[in-house]
Amino acid sequence: MTEGNGMPHESDELLRVEGLVKHFPIKAGVFKSTVGQVRAVDGVDLTVKKGETLGVVGESGCGKTTLGRTIIKLIDPTAGSIIFDGRDITALGRREMRPVRREIQIVFQDPYASLNPRMTVSEIVAEPLRIHGIYKADGKKRIAELLRTVGLSPEHGNRFPHEFSGGQRQRIGVARALALNPSMIVLDEPVSALDVSIQAQVVNLLASLQNDFGLTYLFIAHDLSVVRHVSDRIAVMYLGKIVEVGSRNEIYDTPMHPYTQALLSAVPIESPNQRGKRSRIVLEGDVPSPADPPSGCRFRTRCWKAQEICAEQEPPLVARDPSKPGLLSACHFAEVMRPLALAADEAPADAPTTTV
Amino acid sequence: MPDPILSIRDLTVEFETEDGVVQAVTDVTYDLQPGEVLGVVGESGSGKSVSMLSVLGLSPSARIPKGEAIFKGEDLLKLSQKRLREIRGGPMAMIFQDPMTSLNPVLTVGDQIAEAVLTHNLGTSDDDARKRTVELLEVVGVPYAERRVDQHPHEFSGGMRQRAMIAMAIANNPSVLVADEPTTALDVTIQAQIVEVLKAAREETHAAIVLITHDLGLIAELADRVVVMYAGRVVELSDVYTIFNAPRHPYTVGLMNSLARLDAEQEWLEPIPGQPPSMIAPPPGCAFHPRCSFSHGRLVCRTDIPGLRQIGEGAAHHSRCHFAEELEEAHVVAGAAAEEAR
Repeated sequence: MTEGNGMPHESDELLRVEGLVKHFPIKAGVFKSTVGQVRAVDGVDLTVKKGETLGVVGESGCGKTTLGRTIIKLIDPTAGSIIFDGRDITALGRREMRPVRREIQIVFQDPYASLNPRMTVSEIVAEPLRIHGIYKADGKKRIAELLRTVGLSPEHGNRFPHEFSGGQRQRIGVARALALNPSMIVLDEPVSALDVSIQAQVVNLLASLQNDFGLTYLFIAHDLSVVRHVSDRIAVMYLGKIVEVGSRNEIYDTPMHPYTQALLSAVPIESPNQRGKRSRIVLEGDVPSPADPPSGCRFRTRCWKAQEICAEQEPPLVARDPSKPGLLSACHFAEVMRPLALAADEAPADAPTTTV
Repeated sequence: MPDPILSIRDLTVEFETEDGVVQAVTDVTYDLQPGEVLGVVGESGSGKSVSMLSVLGLSPSARIPKGEAIFKGEDLLKLSQKRLREIRGGPMAMIFQDPMTSLNPVLTVGDQIAEAVLTHNLGTSDDDARKRTVELLEVVGVPYAERRVDQHPHEFSGGMRQRAMIAMAIANNPSVLVADEPTTALDVTIQAQIVEVLKAAREETHAAIVLITHDLGLIAELADRVVVMYAGRVVELSDVYTIFNAPRHPYTVGLMNSLARLDAEQEWLEPIPGQPPSMIAPPPGCAFHPRCSFSHGRLVCRTDIPGLRQIGEGAAHHSRCHFAEELEEAHVVAGAAAEEAR
């Protein structure tokens, strides 16, 4: 399909990110000269379809939070483009971004730090409406409706954030994000700070809101079980790049990138009955510094498959198996492994494994 | 059964706050057997950490109106600070959640581990202490230990710092190791490394480990027995297989069912409804009753605090629920174990 501006554009695509880069300068010395760059996001391409949830997983420092914030332009990108609903929003200024902000909202990880402690819940939820000049006479009714939508009662509106538990605060954050009827919400670790029994409440709430309002989610998290549950497709990040992206089942059941395989196999078993029955790949060492990433493939310093070519050529993120056109892997030696069903006697001989 | 190495009896811990007295831990009783891994599970505010910290004298604002904690014939709650200092880091050692704040940033990692060696072994020469330190760092898998012993904590990654903490904890061959959320601040691939290090530390010292965590996966991997805590009380206690395969407290069942599963498709998660109770004014009767899906509004749940009673044959399984037997009759299997049974 072709839109009016001549750009090829598929109608079911809501967000497209191309070559997105965000470098943070490292300053040092009296004159604060720039001595290096932290390559937090270093060339990310991705698309999010209307109504789907794209999960973004990765370990701390992989750039997933920076990616989310750059996409909604809380941070300006260093390079690359962000196309939202067919329109390039990369270069838009504050004023021009306003109508776009009604469409993309964000929910932050920390429900304690992201709500103003001096405002009542009603004021917090009303703020986006006031900023956009649409808090009209029926504003009160709208706030009550929003609070009910997220499972709070309108009477909660007169209270302050400190009177609520973590799970309830996260509901307030969700109500604020919903106030402007957005089409997309970036969820940055929305349940990580919550207790397990409360996590499930918030995850269910997000799922029913998606059903009710046809929302599109970019769900950033490090909890692989939660991401599997909520996502239609999943992107795996390592050191500022997407190393693999595919449907939920492709990523969890038949991943082809060694990092995805190691990440999944590191997840603890779910019942003691599985003891001794699973092999685990235990990666050696730590994630290298994003200020000085390895040449070629960034994962090669911890990879058991690494050869010379990995240091010389960066593997492109492309389909590696003709039968799985939707599963893109950035590995020269991509090969299917089933990390969650890796029996104790099935572990590849060259991988550093241990029995769980 | 052999004599327990640590015996906690009727431990009650309170905190005075502006809003009233927080009843953080109430009548907690459990034994730690030599060499076992005892998992203590619960959500934030359940009292799982406070009960251990107060026993070790590490919770200075806590008030302990009753209880005892017998370790090798001594009641830890009655000891002087001096004697407690001899025990902590010696026969009883701790691993904390946050290796960023638990290490001193201005001392080298080696000096801090050597301090643990020297404090408890008077007369050790500096050379021997250093040798021992390098050896310990090797046990916990710090590469180039000989060189890294002279580095400062900021030169260590999170995973390496946690290894250094574990090295410090096992420096004096403890017989009890208290690990308070040892992997919580770490990434999953690093978590897997630390689990291996904990296994190695256990091999090395044969210490009994109290593993305090909210992570049921860590419990599934490491624990021999499990204590489940809710609202300051022990609500269930059994071996790890029974806790996962045949839980007999509605909170344990709810906790396992609320987890998202890695290997299964679920349309909806099954959360525990409601919020954890206020510890200043807990609900009357069973503290879990407002969130319980098995109470069915029965009066006794709202009026009487259930005792921790034995379930079935043998003395191993205990539950604090008036209607624990109903869970048995309903053949309740929770979480991952239920999936396997299917």
